[in-house]
Amino acid sequence: MARVAFNDMIHFTEELVDRRKMFEGLDLEPLETYIGMDTRPAWEFKTPLASGFYKPFVLKGSDKIEKITYGELHYMGRVKYCALNFTAGDNYDLPVFACEFDESAARLSITLDFMPLVDIAVHPEYRETYLDPLAGLWRKYRTIPGLTKEGRCLLQRRYAPWPWARATLSHYPIDGRVEEPQDRQAVLEAIFDYAQLWLDMMKKAEPITDPAYKQEMLKRKAALQKYYRDLDPGGEVLKKIFGEEKKNLFVSLIF
Amino acid sequence: MAETTWTPYFEKMKQALAGLPLAGLSTLQGSVIGALQQRLAAAGSAKIEAFGAEKIEKIVLASVSGESVQLGLCSIIPAQGCDLPIFFSRWVEDRGGVGMYVDLLPTVDILVDEPYRVKYIEPLGPDWERFANLPGIAPEEDDSLRACCSIVYTAAAMLIEREGMRLAALAPHTDYLKHYIEFYAAAAPAGTAEKREELRRKTAAVRQTLRGHVTRVLAGPAGQGIDPSASADLPELLF
Repeated sequence: MARVAFNDMIHFTEELVDRRKMFEGLDLEPLETYIGMDTRPAWEFKTPLASGFYKPFVLKGSDKIEKITYGELHYMGRVKYCALNFTAGDNYDLPVFACEFDESAARLSITLDFMPLVDIAVHPEYRETYLDPLAGLWRKYRTIPGLTKEGRCLLQRRYAPWPWARATLSHYPIDGRVEEPQDRQAVLEAIFDYAQLWLDMMKKAEPITDPAYKQEMLKRKAALQKYYRDLDPGGEVLKKIFGEEKKNLFVSLIF
Repeated sequence: MAETTWTPYFEKMKQALAGLPLAGLSTLQGSVIGALQQRLAAAGSAKIEAFGAEKIEKIVLASVSGESVQLGLCSIIPAQGCDLPIFFSRWVEDRGGVGMYVDLLPTVDILVDEPYRVKYIEPLGPDWERFANLPGIAPEEDDSLRACCSIVYTAAAMLIEREGMRLAALAPHTDYLKHYIEFYAAAAPAGTAEKREELRRKTAAVRQTLRGHVTRVLAGPAGQGIDPSASADLPELLF
């Protein structure tokens, strides 16, 4: 197992957003206020223990996006906690694009998914529209060493200690732990491919017209966001470093 | 060619089912169970039994053993309005390996309905983690079935390399079934009309997915040699 020095860890934002031009063609503008909170303290922060940024955006002149956030938290020169989140506006039922990318010397822990906003067992049409297009990518990337190990494919298990978190996942998550540098790079490719698919879907998305369906969707969306904002174990670390107020801001931007 | 000794799927599952207050059924949905067993036996040998019980619409246990493959299936469908999950176990065994799936499929949205998740799904967590150590453990391959799975389903495609592995692969099936039987006592009718409607809607959707899944399984190597009319009836009978 190769250990990766902090300086050699993946430059998440630079490699995904900047170099690959993830948002090229989208007219993004900073999201300055989110659920009543001034987001600017998250745009850049520095304490003796941690530094980083969470940058939230919306799509200029459109209600399709509630937020697009990317960011990194560098902790004690040892670990990078990176995040990428795309959440559609309330008039759209696009799944939540969620990516947690936590890199240390020993391993990269990844959870990447399109989290459905309706019960996909009950709504097969939702699954076919938004999730089944992931099938090919999921089958390709689940073979990354670490996600598959000694003939066992261990997807859907990184969130083992948190049943509520597993209940948020679709049936196409890329999640687990990888170790070798080249495998970490492969994870980056998976994130980019998943993100491009979501952004393509967003461009074609139409607003919901059925009020009952919308109510059902918003109920699940609220439950999903509340779980992560209240219970995500990373929240406790953020609270210790930054205090309650900034922790609430940061986790709301990430989820 | 030496006769194959198949893993005693049917017998072990039936033993585990004895924990329920079962009433054997000779006909189900208009099908005479004995006649269906004869048609299934065209592939080799077949066993099928159906049961009813309070709080449960039906239980069906079947196995079909041919020269090169054994298929085992077990379903438990809760009675309408009862909040129990759906139990489903699939066992496909050939000379080289075992492909399997077992789950308690939720009949509500377990992200939103936390009490249901805590009551019926989370207690299987420790076993789900234990069975992750089985060789060949992997996500279920059928995308539409996987979309209905609970967060604790166990699936594997196991190559059999030594004695004992087949029985190890059977352990999750009897274990999950034992959990289901433990839950049976606490099962209750839905408390509100809204919850009853949610149960009805989701149970119907999951049953339809399961029928499609078993139809596809029977169309593959696991259904080899089974009379086509029996293949058509079995998914309906199970779900």
